[in-house]
Amino acid sequence: MAPTPGTVRPNARKPRVRKPAAVTTKPREVALSIRGLVKRFDNKTAVAGIDLEVFAGSLYGIVGPNGAGKTTTLSMVTGLLKPDAGSVFVHGHDVWANPVAAKRKLGVLPDQLRLFDRLTGGQLLYYSGILRGLDKASVRLRSADLAAAFGLENSLDRLVADYSAGMSKKIALAAAMIHSPRLLVLDEPFESVDPVSSANVIEILQRYAKAGGTVVLSSHTMNLIERVCDSVAVIVNGSVLAQGTMAEVRAGNSLEDRFVELAGGRRAAEGMEWLHKFSD
Amino acid sequence: MANAFRRTPWQIVGLVLALVYGLGTAFFLAAGLFALRFFDVELARSAVIVFGSIAVIVFAALPLLLGIEDLLDPRRFALYGMSNSRLAASIAVASLISVPALVITIIALAQITTWTRGPLPVALAVASAVVIVLTCVLSARISTTLATFLLSTRRSRDLTTIVGIVIIIALTPLIGLLASVDWTVDGAPTLSAIADVASWTPLGAAWGAPADAAAGSDGSAVAKLVIAILWLGLLALAWRALVGAILVRPTRQAQARQYNGISWFDRFGATPTGAIAARSVTYWARDARYLTNLAIIPVIPAVMIVALLVAGVPITVLALLPVPVMCLFLSWSVHNDVSFDNTAIWLHLVSSTSGRADRIGRLVPALALGIPIIVLGSLLSIAVYGDWSELPSLIGVSACILLVGLGLSSVMSAAFPYPAVRPNDSPFSQPQAGGSSAGLIQGLSFFGILLLTAPALAAAVLGFIYGGLFPLIALVAGLVIGLAALAGGVRLGARAFERRGPELLAAALRN
Repeated sequence: MAPTPGTVRPNARKPRVRKPAAVTTKPREVALSIRGLVKRFDNKTAVAGIDLEVFAGSLYGIVGPNGAGKTTTLSMVTGLLKPDAGSVFVHGHDVWANPVAAKRKLGVLPDQLRLFDRLTGGQLLYYSGILRGLDKASVRLRSADLAAAFGLENSLDRLVADYSAGMSKKIALAAAMIHSPRLLVLDEPFESVDPVSSANVIEILQRYAKAGGTVVLSSHTMNLIERVCDSVAVIVNGSVLAQGTMAEVRAGNSLEDRFVELAGGRRAAEGMEWLHKFSD
Repeated sequence: MANAFRRTPWQIVGLVLALVYGLGTAFFLAAGLFALRFFDVELARSAVIVFGSIAVIVFAALPLLLGIEDLLDPRRFALYGMSNSRLAASIAVASLISVPALVITIIALAQITTWTRGPLPVALAVASAVVIVLTCVLSARISTTLATFLLSTRRSRDLTTIVGIVIIIALTPLIGLLASVDWTVDGAPTLSAIADVASWTPLGAAWGAPADAAAGSDGSAVAKLVIAILWLGLLALAWRALVGAILVRPTRQAQARQYNGISWFDRFGATPTGAIAARSVTYWARDARYLTNLAIIPVIPAVMIVALLVAGVPITVLALLPVPVMCLFLSWSVHNDVSFDNTAIWLHLVSSTSGRADRIGRLVPALALGIPIIVLGSLLSIAVYGDWSELPSLIGVSACILLVGLGLSSVMSAAFPYPAVRPNDSPFSQPQAGGSSAGLIQGLSFFGILLLTAPALAAAVLGFIYGGLFPLIALVAGLVIGLAALAGGVRLGARAFERRGPELLAAALRN
């Protein structure tokens, strides 16, 4: 096992461990560690004690049915929702005890939250960059690179309010990356993004992971997670039912079959005979 | 539709309030119409026609101005596969069951009692009542459907808001003009002249028919009823055509405008404070919710001055009023600023933006407007007032109000946010999430400003009476208290913002 994340001091042992970590015998650095995370809303338990370890350099998928607690978990990981119990460490920094250090290493794409949409795409990128403490010149440079990478060059001067859902997602994703964080936490990053763009995004994320960055992303598109991620966790009813490398979790099946099995199996489609007798 | 009753508790409360308010208005007007039964024919005729025409205008225009979301939009029924005529008729009948339709029905029935002065007037009044109700409901239907269709893009919604504000501002002098007519002497002839014209238009024809019969001119009475019925027929045809047309037309697409570069962001420093200031200024200039606030701020003192002028207060004294009043509402308008961001505030949380940067950045637009208002406005006010020794008082009190207000708002918006109009909603719409706290917080921040300004204001009043050094005391007291309150407010607000980040987002999610 890796050294307990609470005691890891990345500053002390950081001298560029940027080589692909898989071949070394040294234990891989833990990028994100979640311990005993619990969240209740009124009487309903949304997250019932989740423990996860994500190693640096991996593309980690979180899958689960609707309402399983994926977004709640990721909100607590990113400092947007206060957990009732448990702790979250980003490269050794506690998100809730030492937020400034932890959040500097964190890039976030939340799901279903608004953007400052009366800004143009370019302004939103600039705004995110400056709030993250970048200087003007590097914001300019990175905005141009990100816009080119996400295919938004011609849309930077339009209001985000006039963007399509997919474009909003892409500009938010670009804004999450502008300060070159070590860990990206992306909630449903591919929802309503067209296939060409999502292929681009996947390539960007894979190169980022190869350079030592870590990506945690949630989705309910199993094929995509199976294709892109090297590790995966299955969350159902606020608990982790399986986690590990993709091969371990799949256990010989496709991820989709394994997921349906874990999530409670298929409902037998009986009693719907009327659907097969058409009304005209 | 009975569906109106099957909603969340707060919506039911809203509906009940609307019902009580609507029925209250209706019964008040109905009582008036009943009372008119005992007035002479000429006066009753003028009153009924003028106010009836206004009611018809209100029915047709209100949906356009308010941009109400249409629950009976024909498009919603497009997938049920009804014929156009049947759909048009069904929706028209369904819209008879609504609070406004109930109100107009009561008024139309009451109008019959006004004309119980013979068989022909009563018969015509009954026919008119039916025509009036149907005309109002159909007009409202048509304009609501048009509004929903035309205002489906964001920019057109913003535009309507601005147009609405301009109309409201334009109406202010009109009200002053109407107030200037000496109603006790010229009232009846003025009203009668308006009624003569209005009763030949579709607006007043239905109201005029029984009135003319009661006055003895049967010929013009029948002619007016015919006009009213023809108009109703036209409306029905228009409605039928509109339903047919709108079902096959795609939703309007906005053509996006291009904005060049990052404008305000270049003019402020590349620090978090500068970026937040630039973002705030951009929002004040671009977002209809802020523009509405901005447009209303000069209207408030204008209305106050008109009212007080009518009451006989001399203009020289009233000249001292606008600057402090505008400062009061300008600084007060930002006391719920965080809620205006709605859930977009997450960006400030994940980038661990310092509370100070957030607080100060948000105050920049109000300061940038307030300081010139104080300097130029005070000079102008005192020029009208005539006594330059009062200048320090006016500046002191106004600056105190602005600075104290901004300080208090800094604390309030971070510590006690309450639901605000969401981004892209109509500025006149009510926030979905109800809450009893909103009124309390609004009142608290308002009277907090007045309380902390009291010393400067007291000195200014003493200076107004005794002169001497009091104006200077007002200036110094105002600036000292104001700056202290601003500094303290930003500090406290910053701490609240940093501590309560996740609560602010949770509050926005409930909004």
